[in-house]
Amino acid sequence: MLDEIALMQTEAEAAIAAADSEAALEELRVKYLGRNGLVRGQFQKLGSLPKEDRPAVGAALNQLAKGLEERLEARRAELAAADADRALLADAIDITLPGRSHRVGKRHPLLATLDEMVAIFLGLGFRVVEGPEVEDYYHSFTALNYPEYHPAMDEQMTFYCGPDVLLRSQTSTVQIRAMEHMEPPVRIVVPGRCYRRDTVDATHCHTFYQLEGLLVDEGVTFADLKGTLEIFAREMFGERCHVRFRPDFFPFTEPSAEVALSCTLCEGGGCRVCSNTGYLEVGGAGEVDPNVLAGVGYDTDKYTGFAFGVGVERFTMLRHGIDDIRLFYSGDMRFLGQF
Amino acid sequence: MRVPYGWLMDYLEAEITATELAHALTMGGLEVEEVQQWTSEDGTASDQVLLTKVTANRGDLLSMIGVARHAAAVLGTSWKLPDIPWNLVAEPVSGQTLVSDGRVTIELADPAGCPRYSGLLMQGLTMRPSPQWLAHRLEAAGMRPLSHVIDCTNYVMLELGQPLHAFDYDRLRDGHIIVRRAMAGERMETLDRQERNLTAEDLLITDPAGPIALAGVMGGSSTEVGPHTTRVLMESAHFDPTSIRKTSLRLGLTSEASYRFERHVDPNGTLRAIARVTDLILATCGGEVVGKALDACAEDFSPRRILLRPRRCNAVLGTDLSADEMARCLRAIDCQVTPCPEGLQVEVPRLRWDIEREVDLIEEIIIVHGYDKLPLTVPGRLAQSGVLTRRQKQVRLVGEVLRQCGLNETLSFSVFGPGDLDRLGLPQEAPERNMLALGNPMIETQTHMRTTLLPAMLEACETNVRQRVTDVALYEINKVFLPRPAEPLPDEPLRVAGVLMGSMATSDWKSTLDRGQVAGGPQVPDFYTVKGIVQQVCDALGVTGTSFGRAHHPAFHPGRCANLLLAGQPIGVLGEATAEVQQRYDLPARVYLFELELEPLLAAACEYKPYRQLPRFPALLRDLAFVCPDDAAHDAAALETLILQSGGEYLRDVAVFDLFVNAERLGAGMKNLAYRLTFRADDRTLTDDEVDALIERIKDTVTSKTQARFRDY
Ligand SMILES: [Zn+2]
Repeated sequence: MLDEIALMQTEAEAAIAAADSEAALEELRVKYLGRNGLVRGQFQKLGSLPKEDRPAVGAALNQLAKGLEERLEARRAELAAADADRALLADAIDITLPGRSHRVGKRHPLLATLDEMVAIFLGLGFRVVEGPEVEDYYHSFTALNYPEYHPAMDEQMTFYCGPDVLLRSQTSTVQIRAMEHMEPPVRIVVPGRCYRRDTVDATHCHTFYQLEGLLVDEGVTFADLKGTLEIFAREMFGERCHVRFRPDFFPFTEPSAEVALSCTLCEGGGCRVCSNTGYLEVGGAGEVDPNVLAGVGYDTDKYTGFAFGVGVERFTMLRHGIDDIRLFYSGDMRFLGQF
Repeated sequence: MRVPYGWLMDYLEAEITATELAHALTMGGLEVEEVQQWTSEDGTASDQVLLTKVTANRGDLLSMIGVARHAAAVLGTSWKLPDIPWNLVAEPVSGQTLVSDGRVTIELADPAGCPRYSGLLMQGLTMRPSPQWLAHRLEAAGMRPLSHVIDCTNYVMLELGQPLHAFDYDRLRDGHIIVRRAMAGERMETLDRQERNLTAEDLLITDPAGPIALAGVMGGSSTEVGPHTTRVLMESAHFDPTSIRKTSLRLGLTSEASYRFERHVDPNGTLRAIARVTDLILATCGGEVVGKALDACAEDFSPRRILLRPRRCNAVLGTDLSADEMARCLRAIDCQVTPCPEGLQVEVPRLRWDIEREVDLIEEIIIVHGYDKLPLTVPGRLAQSGVLTRRQKQVRLVGEVLRQCGLNETLSFSVFGPGDLDRLGLPQEAPERNMLALGNPMIETQTHMRTTLLPAMLEACETNVRQRVTDVALYEINKVFLPRPAEPLPDEPLRVAGVLMGSMATSDWKSTLDRGQVAGGPQVPDFYTVKGIVQQVCDALGVTGTSFGRAHHPAFHPGRCANLLLAGQPIGVLGEATAEVQQRYDLPARVYLFELELEPLLAAACEYKPYRQLPRFPALLRDLAFVCPDDAAHDAAALETLILQSGGEYLRDVAVFDLFVNAERLGAGMKNLAYRLTFRADDRTLTDDEVDALIERIKDTVTSKTQARFRDY
């Protein structure tokens, strides 16, 4: 009897494993576990067994019924999962078609660069100040220690709106406006638009952006200026970039320096970008001339300061590899959408 | 300036190549832009030429000996003058404003304009061309050889930096030189054969008959040295730079002489130059000096004395130099340095007119010491943290919102022209035509400071269309320049403008799946897109109290234009450009524009938005539709106002969700407007009955007060 049960179990388990549909499983359930199924048939034979054998055979039959029930359920779940997989597979789409999204606009590359430059100086404790683009003669020249009828004016190539009104040719004008309204310590940067009568071509434009910096406090030295710009250079172009100072002349600083950064493309060896000099001129700087400080009423024995002005276009062109300055003002979607 | 290397090395004692020298000069503050290979026109001479770029304060570098002197200072070597036959100018006839030896009289009638005038008379000259070596040197320096006398004046100017002028003594009335200002109405013909009208500001060299030279700028033709000249009066003078510059600027006339005088010439070099030039002339032209040199000098040109405090020097530079080291640097630029109790007493030769103050000496010290030896330090006192102001953050926020709306940021020029306003269709009396004009514009389309950003937006569209890009979405935040009555400087308020044309999505492909769902497809902007963007900007700034009103603007479609109103005041315009504007800019599709005044928006912005309690009880939503005439009395806002007024306190929100216009189904001139209404109480869940009653009230109000009919869903 027990052998018979074992044989039935083997047969039934093989049949369940081979069943490939819900219907086939149901058929097997009826065949073995149904009201007139094979397992029930065996139960009915129990009465004819010797009394002492009945508990063991009964237990084996119960075990068989429970086992088959579990097998059937497991196989049913297996088949359902396979069905679901097939259905998902049928819903597969072409993932190589282009993505669809709401377009997010881009910051203008020139202003993105300016933001980054400003951020470095914010980190150094500078605040951002702005000033008028249309300026008077006093703030543009007189207060910046430009002598009247001085050849230094030739280099400014200024746009005039009247004898006393002009478009600022450098952000330095805002130095004066800022100092007129505050007492030292002054620690500001001035981002802004400037104008020079320069014919527009791939590398020149009559409109350009500058970042001006001004720090006036007790004991601010020329070495502090170089150190501050060195930090700026490293933040902009990496640890290997350093600042070079060369004597230069600006009426509003003394001593004055032309500021150049080592070319990080050729590591100073010389390349096309740096015109084989290993350095890129980026602006001018210097200790604020005592005449300028005295002009806004600062005590020149107590306070010294430094100022610098750097261009923005050059940095932007360098970091993105842009070769035509006119693109900045083109409004070309193909250009503006790239950054 | 062109500095021939071979010529320069006559005065510089150093073993150095042209390229090395160029580098040393550049690092010392005299920028050499290029070292050029030069060959003479006749092919017999060659040299390397250093092209220097001299800053406006360093007139002393505009000569060979000036460059040699500077090179010696930065290289730590020495330099020397050419052979000067001092005997030719020994014991000159001197005086302050009037000197005369009987043959020549020099009178300084305007000592401020001309504080020094030296002269020397030569006779028995034969005009000849210059010897080849001299002609070649002039050619290498960029000057064309003429006749020997003229060549020598140029040669010595290039060599020593002192401009000279040769007069034909026999064409000079009485040998009498008077340096004075021009009289009103006076005229003269300059060497370039131009008749010049003079003003009382012009400094002149005259004789008793009238002007013979425009002092320091150009000689006159009446006393020009010619092929038959035998007697020459040589002028070697010092002029006030400002006076020379004014005349030069006014006449638009610059010369090698005026260029140098504007930048200061050594006032103590006049006799030296006369000796040198006379020597060179006599060597080729024969002849002899007549009498002695004359030297009228009305000013004391002895060295300037400046005190240098070594502590101050180190405090400005951030260095740790000793007083001895500072003295060494100053002696290298030919200063006399004497230690004194306060520090160093420094005597600065007058050729360095730019050194007037202690700080100027400090700069010279670090130049000679080397800018590359400057230590790297940072300012010791951290006075403040670097943060943006609220306004600066808000301006950036506006840009961020517009980018999130899909607009790229663009930049355009601040200058434009009246033609741009014509293209926009603005009438002559439009306020935008009150513009600030440039006095010296570069091109005729950019003559004024702009008063609106709209032309730039349309021009950007035009540029894109020309490149076959027809999907355009751009914004710009920038200044406009508005003239103010009785103020010299204009107001410069910030504006924000934008333009939309074509599709808004990055990739506008459309898919229709077999279950009938449609996804994607072009998002073509319309009036409501641009209005939505403007609303986003206001919302991001937390500006409340804005509304939109129908507006008229010449550039906009009269039925599709609105003003943004803040507290009832218009602060911006938005809508669809007219067909004419579209045509003038050659645009293939409808264009939507906006331009807002940013200043009032920033002023009304709120820094931190207050939190509104989240609802604790569920809302009941009801949809309500009306069929009504499609006119202003029945616009969306009018109906919405009526609904809100009659909805009671539980009506929290009214939102349009459908506009339907169909003449066949609704009748001509009619529309169907559907609203979704949100009802909620703060303290309990509303019942359907309560809301139904409210809906009835709303329906009654709207249908009784307007011609709208309720439409059952
Ligand atoms: Zn390089």
